[in-house]
Amino acid sequence: MNKSTLIIVGILLIFGMYGCSSYNGLVGKDQDVKGKWANVQTQYQRRSDLIPNLVNTVKGAADFEKSTLTAVIQARASATAVNIKADDLTPANIQKFQAAQDQLSGALSRLLVSVEKYPDLKANQNFLELQSQLEGTENRIAVARNDFNTAVQGYNSSALSFPTVIFAKIFGFAEKGFFQASDSAQAAPSVKF
Amino acid sequence: MLNRFFLLLFFIQSFAFAQDIPQKPNPPRFVNDLVGGLLSQGEIDQLEQKLKAYNDSTSTQIAIVIVNSVQPYDISEYAVKLGREWGVGQKDKNNGIVLLWAPSDRKVFIATGYGVEGGLTDAYSKRIIEEIIKPNFKESRYYQGLDEATNRIFKYLAGEFDADPSPAASTTNTGSWEDLLLMVVFFIVVVALLLRPRSGGDDGGTSNTTYTSWGSSSGSSSSDYDSSSSSSSSSSDFGGGSFGGGGAGGDY
Repeated sequence: MNKSTLIIVGILLIFGMYGCSSYNGLVGKDQDVKGKWANVQTQYQRRSDLIPNLVNTVKGAADFEKSTLTAVIQARASATAVNIKADDLTPANIQKFQAAQDQLSGALSRLLVSVEKYPDLKANQNFLELQSQLEGTENRIAVARNDFNTAVQGYNSSALSFPTVIFAKIFGFAEKGFFQASDSAQAAPSVKF
Repeated sequence: MLNRFFLLLFFIQSFAFAQDIPQKPNPPRFVNDLVGGLLSQGEIDQLEQKLKAYNDSTSTQIAIVIVNSVQPYDISEYAVKLGREWGVGQKDKNNGIVLLWAPSDRKVFIATGYGVEGGLTDAYSKRIIEEIIKPNFKESRYYQGLDEATNRIFKYLAGEFDADPSPAASTTNTGSWEDLLLMVVFFIVVVALLLRPRSGGDDGGTSNTTYTSWGSSSGSSSSDYDSSSSSSSSSSDFGGGSFGGGGAGGDY
């Protein structure tokens, strides 16, 4: 009796200790993912904040096809409407977020392409600076997304690999979604002269 | 399942990057011409001197890197990767800048670390590319382009970090004088310290105390001198700064 209870207690203890450490590991990685997500959102927010200025500048400098501008404004509205909490980064949610942002990227790039027709605008210092800011924001988005993916990769490979997956299931650490290297790469407004 | 696939894809991608980004030079240098023939050795040394002085006075690190081509990557992506891998800028300030030039692609990119994004905004970086790099590089005046571009960066970042950069450009001469003076003093102190126990005699109380006070304070300055005299090691090492994708670039 003594021996077997000791063994059982020992096993439980080891199990518990292992559980604790993997729980802590998962919490750390979860926080890392959340931090990176915040950065992704910040960069998208930054882009979305730049858009009204861009739209106004374009509107002022060129009597523009209204449809392109309204497309951008609408895409921006729907992109900002999709807001995902850091606790809820499921693959489906990430996909939804990405779809909304990609739509905005597409609308923006169409706007920037049609702007090519307006020499006044291209000579406008304000517009040029907005454009370089927008370009920089796109780069930052790419970096933030990449960092986020790296963090998710670390988290997922912990939460889904064998021994840890048991504790992940017990404590409710769900798989998180990636940003996928989709056609957004082509849709992103590339500003070239 | 799909995610596993992307995970794999991601691994492949990061592996490919690890292959393509050139190794951090050893000893670290601020001017890295990995192509050769575009700048003379004298011009490289001059730029190196300037950037080193700037680093010493402001802790801001500007790395000029010339690679043949950044294909198949986007130049901004490449510059960020390189800046992060080399760790350009100080770790706690993230005040690194990578000026990446790919002659085969005829592209230049200025990547700014997190810390310098405020002073050297994307718009300013773009302006440097448009107003300085492009016109000079089109005429093959590469050194002038890089020289003026770094001067303009100094100007935009004036007062952002620690010291005022304007004396930094002019202190190169006085700096060597200071070094010489320091070296002489250091030499005297070392000789005095070495000779003292052997001679056994006393050189006099007053000079003795001055030596000891020098000895206690010269610890940091003598190491400063050591690193600058070898012109390679610790002082020009990159500090581990990080980049977030800021900056701007263009074709010429």
